[in-house]
Amino acid sequence: MDSEGVKQAIIRQTREANAQSNARLLIEGINNTCFDKCVPKPGSSLSSSENSCALQCMEKYLAAWNEVNRTYIRRIQHEVGNQQN
Amino acid sequence: MSSELTVSQADLDKLNDKDRAELRQFFANEEQRTKIQSQTHALTEVCWKKCVTSNIKSGALDKNEQSCLANCVDRFMDVNIATMRALAALGGRHV
Repeated sequence: MDSEGVKQAIIRQTREANAQSNARLLIEGINNTCFDKCVPKPGSSLSSSENSCALQCMEKYLAAWNEVNRTYIRRIQHEVGNQQN
Repeated sequence: MSSELTVSQADLDKLNDKDRAELRQFFANEEQRTKIQSQTHALTEVCWKKCVTSNIKSGALDKNEQSCLANCVDRFMDVNIATMRALAALGGRHV
């Protein structure tokens, strides 16, 4: 590998590792939140209503994550803009 | 993980100055991105508890939930900033 190849390999591996840890945190959040929300009293098996609740909850959690991320980034940019004025 | 070879110390020694500088910039950007992502994870957990209080009937956010989440993030930041300012003022008096 030349310098360019080494650089590209480092960039690729770093991106992969970061994406993986982001995905892990997201899955953890979904599992904790949606288990809590959809299975208040665990029975001897997962009922079909608990199952469909969990799927909708996952979608909703992803939508909430995106909304929070969007708002947070907007706010940070706003604060940075204020500091510079 | 990737099936690519991992980068060895010998490979690192091959990096020229231009690529080293580019990598430093790349790491700074990635660090900022992961900080924002990790704060987003924490905030999503906090704000979900406050904003998604009814039973789940759909995979989409309704209008109320959506505006509640946005308000939650902004108010959290207000409190965060107010706390930092108050602490800075305290520090100025006591340190």
